[in-house]
Amino acid sequence: MSKTNKGLLDQAWSMTTESQLWRSIFRHGYPDTPLNQSLVMMGNVFLHLHPVKVSRKAMKITYTWCLGGLSFFLFLVLTITGVFLMFYFVPEQTVAYANIQQITSAVAFGNIVRNMHRWAAHLMVVTVTLHMIRVFYHGAYKPPREFNWVVGVILFLVTLLLSFTGYLLPWDQIGYWAITVGSNMASYAPIFGAQVHNFLTGQPVGVGQPTLVRFYTLHVIGLPLVGAIMMAVHFWRIRKDGGEAGPPPPSRRELEAARAESQNVPVSALN
Amino acid sequence: MTTTEPRPATEARPAATQKRYRTLAVVKQEAVTRIEKQLEDSVFVWPHLLVREFFAALMMSVVLTVLSIVINAPLLDHANPNLTPNPAKAPWYFLGLQEQLHYFPPTVAGVLLPGFVLVALAMLPYVDRNPSRSFEDRKLSITVFTACALFFAVTILMGSFFRGSGWQWIWPWQGLFFNL
Repeated sequence: MSKTNKGLLDQAWSMTTESQLWRSIFRHGYPDTPLNQSLVMMGNVFLHLHPVKVSRKAMKITYTWCLGGLSFFLFLVLTITGVFLMFYFVPEQTVAYANIQQITSAVAFGNIVRNMHRWAAHLMVVTVTLHMIRVFYHGAYKPPREFNWVVGVILFLVTLLLSFTGYLLPWDQIGYWAITVGSNMASYAPIFGAQVHNFLTGQPVGVGQPTLVRFYTLHVIGLPLVGAIMMAVHFWRIRKDGGEAGPPPPSRRELEAARAESQNVPVSALN
Repeated sequence: MTTTEPRPATEARPAATQKRYRTLAVVKQEAVTRIEKQLEDSVFVWPHLLVREFFAALMMSVVLTVLSIVINAPLLDHANPNLTPNPAKAPWYFLGLQEQLHYFPPTVAGVLLPGFVLVALAMLPYVDRNPSRSFEDRKLSITVFTACALFFAVTILMGSFFRGSGWQWIWPWQGLFFNL
């Protein structure tokens, strides 16, 4: 036992947190005082997207259902599992399918990682859509948040395109024909139909090797890059536009009733 | 007048907690109450919001892990350009549009309708000029949005579970033609 009567764990902890290395990374004490609770939010690059304090009403789980946060979390899961899958996948039409079979049967944890990637992708389409619906019903797209709603619509489109481009990669009958149907629809665009189809698939008719490379490139770098940049704007704008909108304020009728009451005018006199 | 003034209460406290007040500015009454209300309503993000976010992420991880253990991602036969499955279906979120193909020409269902929906969504805050956020004041916009959302939900469900070979109507218990 030491003189200060501290356990070994306590000593190790204080030695760690008082070391120069630790102090160079974390420039504040444990966030259990208002000062440190503020410093941790402002001094940490990952946490600084959040404000130091947040309205109790806007924070309620039943207000946001965490849908935006969950969408972002799923994006992170998809990035991590996606990098893992990239180690084993070659976007070449003679080997792509075999690569997927290899991932599901021979690679350690390959099957569960592929499953997680697939289900997280479908769930992300769901959470992003629900997030948009939630924001609409709360009227949170209204000024000053108009532009952030537009950024959200772009992110919604990016999410769909990410899922769509990923669909083709296993090069099985589901993906191949789903993309054939989807890209055929694009060829019906007025005036530029053929060009749009050619841009998407890299060939005038059907889906083939050029399509696989294009979809792969868009899926693993092009669209995630656009998504990440748009997400940065989206999150930054939440702060700049005054944080979460919070529950809708009272309606005009309720406001008028309250005003009438404060002026001692009977509500019935207004109607 | 007495010469022995009572000592100020602040000096009785230890120096660290001693507070001194000086008039810096005169703030109007309503401004004071507004600031006080805001402070009352807010809490520190660490730990109050972060613990909720962490819990939500944890729950999602559990759901995702269980889902991935229980259900395998589908993988059908090797792609075969000479063997068109009947029906050939788009990913589920595009099945609402594919359902529209059944009623409208491809240019309308496949390009103009989705294009219009996206543009309309993006323009929504600039078209809906009603400043109120209360449900009661937004009957029109909520009705229109709900109708559109239901329309897409119903057509996606129809395209997913009620369409079989040749895009013929089929009940789910007669056969499922749906891949995730």
